[in-house]
Formats: sequence, structure tokens, C-alpha cells
Amino acid sequence: MTTISTEVLVIGGGATGAGVAWDAALRGFDVVLVDRADLAEGTSGRFHGLLHSGGRYVVKDPVAADECVAENAILRRVIPDCIEDTGGLFVSTPDDDPAYGDRFLEGCRRAGLPTEEIAVGEALRMEPRLNPRIRRAFTAPDASIDAWKTVWSLARGAAQHGARVLTYHSVVGLHKDGDTVTGARVRNELSGEELDIEAGFTLNASGAWAAQIVKMAGIEGIGVIPGKGIMIAMNHRLVNTVINRCTMPADGDILVPIRTVSVIGTTDIRSADPDELPVTQEEVDQMLDDGERLVPGLRDARALRVWAGVRPLWQDEHAGQQAADTRDVSRTHAVVDHSQRDGTRGLLTMSGGKVTTLRLMAEDLVDAMCRQKGDERPCRTADVRPPGNEDGELYSLSSRLRRREASQQQEQVICECELIGRAKLEDTMRRRGTQNLDDIRRSLRLGMGPCQGGFCIYRATGILHGVGRLDGAEATASLTSFLQERWKGMWPILYGDQLRQARLDDWIFQGLLGVQHMPPGGGDGVGDVREDKHVEAPGEEAVA
Amino acid sequence: MKPDVVVVGAGLAGLSAAVRLAEAGASVRVLAKGVGSTHLSAGTIDVLGYDADDRRVERPLEALAGLPAEHPYGLVGAAGVSTAVEWFKGRIADGPRAPYAYVGDADQNILLPTAVGAVAPSAAVPETMAGGDLRGGARVCVVGFRALKDFYPALVADNLSRGADGVEARSVELDLRPEGRADPSALAYARGFDDDAFRAEVVAQVVARLAPDERVAFPAVLGLVSPHEVWSYMEHRLSRPVFEIPTLPPSVPGMRVYATLGQLLVRAGGRVVLNTIITGAERSGDRVRSLRARVGLRELTWEPQWVVLATGGFSAGGLELDSHWVTREVALGLPVEGAPPPGEERFRAAYFGGQPMDRVGVRTDHDQRPLGEDGGRMLENVLVAGATLAGAAPWREKSGDGIALATGFRAAGLIGGGATDRADDVATTRA
Repeated sequence: MTTISTEVLVIGGGATGAGVAWDAALRGFDVVLVDRADLAEGTSGRFHGLLHSGGRYVVKDPVAADECVAENAILRRVIPDCIEDTGGLFVSTPDDDPAYGDRFLEGCRRAGLPTEEIAVGEALRMEPRLNPRIRRAFTAPDASIDAWKTVWSLARGAAQHGARVLTYHSVVGLHKDGDTVTGARVRNELSGEELDIEAGFTLNASGAWAAQIVKMAGIEGIGVIPGKGIMIAMNHRLVNTVINRCTMPADGDILVPIRTVSVIGTTDIRSADPDELPVTQEEVDQMLDDGERLVPGLRDARALRVWAGVRPLWQDEHAGQQAADTRDVSRTHAVVDHSQRDGTRGLLTMSGGKVTTLRLMAEDLVDAMCRQKGDERPCRTADVRPPGNEDGELYSLSSRLRRREASQQQEQVICECELIGRAKLEDTMRRRGTQNLDDIRRSLRLGMGPCQGGFCIYRATGILHGVGRLDGAEATASLTSFLQERWKGMWPILYGDQLRQARLDDWIFQGLLGVQHMPPGGGDGVGDVREDKHVEAPGEEAVA
Repeated sequence: MKPDVVVVGAGLAGLSAAVRLAEAGASVRVLAKGVGSTHLSAGTIDVLGYDADDRRVERPLEALAGLPAEHPYGLVGAAGVSTAVEWFKGRIADGPRAPYAYVGDADQNILLPTAVGAVAPSAAVPETMAGGDLRGGARVCVVGFRALKDFYPALVADNLSRGADGVEARSVELDLRPEGRADPSALAYARGFDDDAFRAEVVAQVVARLAPDERVAFPAVLGLVSPHEVWSYMEHRLSRPVFEIPTLPPSVPGMRVYATLGQLLVRAGGRVVLNTIITGAERSGDRVRSLRARVGLRELTWEPQWVVLATGGFSAGGLELDSHWVTREVALGLPVEGAPPPGEERFRAAYFGGQPMDRVGVRTDHDQRPLGEDGGRMLENVLVAGATLAGAAPWREKSGDGIALATGFRAAGLIGGGATDRADDVATTRA
């Protein structure tokens, strides 16, 4: 068995883990990051895309609000290419108490959050699809953030500072020397090979899976509650401003315009297992009804895809917290010091938190590690831009179209929905060295538009077959696994035009191509990947 | 406007009904929102490729008996299917692309390669595809074009070699672009092949790269206007069997069908009016008296004696499911059968395999008249054909072309002959 050594092992390749790897690498630590799957494949890739202004929490959760206010401003500065400055509106729908608006204003003043009440007519001019019966409207500096692009950028940045990023590597055990965690054994999920990682310190950034990790060090009962939320992506930008209901945080009260879609979210249901997140018909209906309240006619718009994410809510019995409802659990984060709590050294867990505060979470966790190591080094993430953000320009929705229009006479467009050209696709396939079309989807948004891969996925299979030197069995496995994965996000919301599209896709894949009658492919579509699979990011068009 | 018959829908079902009626002397208007299923199909006439247990069918006509009674083929019967397929072959062979013709019949399936290198059973196929019958094995050279993004010859060859009995395949990719375009579609290639110089260039680049006993496969782009001429030229110049493999939509062989049937319709005095959306129907008793439609920006009214509803299923927009999980037939508001009731699952988490919504559609009596909520005949002068009909999962069964053709053809016969389905009994119903 191979053994590698590092100063810091980071477990989890979501927003937190990538942030921690970037932070620690910037401070000059030698870092290895492992994730059991692709980067941002867990919670970070399954949220609504809202970069909170803090307005959502000013009344209910002032600490979370203060953090959001500060971090929102910092992230706009350091990862501008991942952020679209949509602005936000908090609106009182006919079902909301207009008096909440006063508490909201008061909370914003206290938190130093710039807001302004505007006339309803002005709000409707800004967003013509908004419910015309809203009673009050307030502006807030909400934005949308591309989590995949963010995570990839941070991971690339970490790699440029020497970090090794091992995706598709599951932690199968933690090593202990007496009461000190000294690393982990990980398994390459693609090759099945195991690897020992000797680490001076282990940082558990596995979010909703944190309890599963520390259990390997014999630690029980840490209070990470998986809180399930579902979200539905609607075709097109129904709004260009983030719309929040001006009320205590509740289900289905946020509509976020991100990239080419709008996302309505979300629910909050305590979940027993972070890997079991079924989407029910009731939740879909509830989300659509909630969306109608904000934007009448949302039910007639085209729903593209539904997914569930799982928040890593923090509620530790040791801390004496107890909340009846997951909505009432604070959205702040906490560093769990296992040396104090459990007498286990060399291990810290990050719990709670949100994408908006990912940088602060990383800073807090690495600070705590530095204190324990007695090796204090200053955090630099509030000042240094990770790769892809160098020019300091905020992301603009039209940038991909602008580039495409410039080259449209020269190049094949493989995915018409998301305007992905062949050169970019081939380049990404080569750099990622993957056989998994779903990895390519996360890198480029391939197959995420209205046709959900109806046309481009056949093409991508053909191209990957050539570029990746796949044999027929591997190509078949990639294609069928993508079709199944795509279906998972579609079948609960199949109505209207999306059902029409899905049926057309059935005709193409099952009728015309006969995919289900291809000689079977090996494995699950996640075949062997190049050795030493460090992060090779998909260039400036990395995504969400 | 008072044509004898208004056919709603310009797919294979609608066009087959329209041509048969018009050629029998009826005045026919085809009203359609856009071009239909032909452009999305392989261009083959697939009658039945897989049975109810998902086993590959060798003899479709015999296998029809094994389908459930409520399957649309139950309306037609094996003899009716066979008659319709032969009629279709006759019309294509007699059409403006003659001698371009279809070969094969509904007695026996042949096995053709698909664009991923699976093999698919088809009954009647364009002569330009027949050389791809892989039963008994073959050596194949699959030729593709680097710039044609809807066809990947190496993928086809790999999977054929791997999965098709006795098939040994390899691939050649050419860097030839019609008119030098960066992103040419299948249609652009088809127009290229219609041109002498382009196809001569293809031959020049391929001919020296072939092994002696190889057949040659191309994507299905061997000409839109004169496919017989293009295909014969390729076979002659390459001195070996040449065949087409269907690509992603838009389908060039499907466009040939659409154009041929459309031209036959015009020849017989009928017309297709595209960009037409039915907005309402006036009824009197159990008859539809008039149809209102939006044609571009205008509202027009037709008062036909008969209506053939061939608007397709969910994929074509003939049927809809809304976000409150209510299904409806879009043009006439006919009752839709088979959708699971509220609260029950409509779809399942496994993509491959059956879905509860698969067989939803309009139920008819034996004479293809739609049934009302009470289970009785609802409209006397409306006949339903094609994918609007309940009871089939055609993309899985590979039965869509056969159902469309046979029920469209039969609807024309029923109109012509009252309520019989004898093929030679079509008479005009001019009022």
C-alpha cells in the first residue's frame, strides 16, 4: 500500500473543504484534500445559489446576519468571477404581515446592511413578473454565486500552492496514535486501491457527513443534523433580482436567478441519512405553490430539474442546544474542538455554516488548527484572489454568449442550450481525464439546459470515446449512467414542456439509438481515471 | 372553408390519412402547428421491434397477436398493418423521388445499426439503408465526418464489433465540410451529397481506404432531393454495398418521407397548412361542425365533414400534462385515458424500463372514434390516429411508425367507406 505524508489532511471537497484547503495552502501548509466523489458533488453543488446579503437572518439569527454582511462584501472582492451582482428584493406578499418589514428594517440597521424601502410600483418595474399584490418591498445586496465555479477555483488555487486534491477517494478509516488522529486510510473509488495518508492534522470539512467521519475515531454523538431542502430550477430567468419573502425564514420563500435559470427554494426537513434524500410529490407541489406566491404563473413556466441538498446544521447536545424544528437551528457555524470535547487531538470538525460564509469558516477552522499546533500564521483569503478571478470583474450573464458569438462561424457548438463549443469540451475532457460525463456536466454545465442533454449527451459520448480513448463498453456505461443520473432530477417535475422534452429524449435515446439494447458496459460509468488525479480545473468557464 | 376532411397533424399518421383520402378524391386540408414526427424519426417503418416482455421481435405481424387488446394495433389487425405498409411503399416508389423506394415488409424484421452501434429491428426501410442488415454478420467500414456532430463513426464501429454477432467494424473519419461551414447539420451534408462535386470528393477520399470485402456505412445524409441517385452513385463508385445509419434529428430520411407525401398530397389536390394551431371547435350534437385555428396572426375557420386527429402524443404536443397533474388532449379537449390518479406515481426513479405515464392517450372505439367519459362514442365525425392513441409505448416497442401509418391509413379508409376498413373502399365524401 502506498503512503503519503502531509501536514494537513482536509476531508471533504465542498465549499468548506475547498475553502479550507485554499486557506491552509495560502498560509504555507502542505495540504491533501480528499473527497469521496467529485468536487462540490454534495451539499455545495445542491443549493439554490444565493449569496446572502444577510437580510434573511437580520430578525431571527443576528449572528448569522452579521457574518453574511461581512462575507458577502469580501467574496465579491476575492471571487468576483463566481458572483453575479443580481441585487435582491425582500417583498411582503399578501400572505405576509407587512409589519415584519419594520422589524426587517430595524434588523438591517443594526447589522449595517444597506437596504431601502422602495415603492411597490418601482419593485414591479424592476421585476415585472413579481406578484402585483405585494405590499412592501425592500432592496438588499443579495447576489447569486456559482458554487461549482467557486469550489473549483479554490481547489485550483490550493493546488497551485502545492495542495494535492484527490477526488473519488473515500475515507475508510482514521489512524490514531494514542489519543491523537494521525491521518486516514482512503480508498480510490475508481480503482479500488487503498492509500494511507499520514497527516499532522486532520480537518473534517465533510459537512452533513461529519458525524460519519469522526465516528471512525471513536467519537459519537456530535450534533450534525442533516436538514434536507429541495429546490427546483425553472427554465429562463423569471426574475433578474433575488426575490425573498419579507418574513421569518420559511419554506419556498427564495427565488434566485443564477446563470441561465431561476431556482425556487427551499424546504427544511430533518433527514436521518444525508445520502437518502427523496423528493416527494408533496414537496414539489408545495414549492410550486410557494413560487406562485412570489411570481404568479410560475406553475406554467417550465421546470427543468429538481434536487435535494442537505444542510449540515449544528446542534450539539454538549452545548445544551435543542431546537424542535430544523428551521430554528442557527445558520452559523462552529469549530468542534475534539481535544476539549472528546479528548481526541489532531482533529477538528467544522459544523454548520453556509456557502456565503465559506471563507470565514475556513479561516476559523485553520486558525483553530494553528492555535493547537502552536504555529500561528495569518489568514490571507480576504485579500488574495484564487484563479479565474484575477481581473476583478463580477460575472455577467451574457459573457458566454458574447464569446460564442465571436467564434460562431469557426466552431461546432456541442451543447446548444449552454453554448459549449467542441474545443472547450475536448479540452475539459482531457484536463479532467474522466470517463464520467456527469463530471463534465459539473465542470461545463453540459446537459443542464432545457433539453437536459437530449442532444449534447450523445455527442459528448462520441467525443469522449475519441478523446478519452474509451472502448465501446466504457462509452456505453458513461452514456447510460448519465441518462439515469439526469432522469433522477427530472422525473418528479415532469409536466408541461419538460415532459414534452423528456418524451422527445425517450424517442431519441430509446427509439432512435436503442441505447437500452446496447451491449452492456462495464461498471457504473465511472471508469478508470488517470493516475494521480490532481485538480485540473476546467478553465475560466468552470461553472455552476 | 369547407373541405371534406381536415387532418390535424402533419406526421406520418396525418400525412398517410391525407394522401389516401386525397388520392381517393376527397378534398383535404392538413392543419399542423409544424412539421411532424417524420423529422424526428429514423425514416424507417418500424412495425414492432420489441414485444411486451421486451424481447426482440423477428416476425412483427405474427407478434402483433401477443399485444394487449387495448394496444392501438388491436384496432388494425395484422392484415391491416401489412396492407398499410405495402400502400406506403407503393406511394414512395410512385412519388417524386422515384425510383427511391422502401424495401422489406412487416412479415420479417431486419437488423440495422444505430448511431451508437446498437442494432435495431425495422420492418420496411429505405433502399439506402437496406445494406445495413447485419443478420448473418458483415465487415463494415463506418465513414463519418469530423464536422458532423450528430454521428460518431468510431463509437458505432466499436459497439458493433463488440455486440453484433459476426460483425467486424472499423471507422474512417473525413474532414470534409459542405461549403466549408464550421458547424454543418445533417441537412447541410445531405444537400452536399445532392451535389455531384461533393460526393465525388467523398468517394475520392474513401475509396483507397476500404478493404476488399467491406460494406460502407455513412450517416443518413446521402441526399435529400435525389437519394436514389446519390446512393447508386456511391455503390457504383465504391463497388460495394453502401448504406445509411440514421443520425440525431433532424432526420434526412424522415424529411424525404415528409416531402414525398406532401408532394403526393398536392398532386392529389390537397394541401398542408403549417403554423396552424387549433384554438376551438364548434359542436352540434355528436359532430364537430367547425374548427377554429390561428394561422400566423389570423383566425380562420374550417367546416369539414370529417376530422382526423393526428396531433401526436406528449412529445409532439398533442397531449399535455400540466403542473396540477391534469392531462388533456390539446386540440379538441378529448378525454385522456390511462394517467395515474392524483397521488399515485406517474414516473419512476429508474429511467430504463416502463413508466406509469407511458401508455396514456385518447381511447377510441373500434372505428377510431373517440370515447367520452361515459365510455361511449363521443364524436361521430372525428377519427383519431397515431401517437395520440392510448395503449402503446412506441419508443420502447419500436412501433411508432407502424401505428402511425396503419391507423392513419385506416382512418382514411373508414371515412371513405363509412365504418369499414377495406383498403379499396375509399370513396369521396364531398358534400
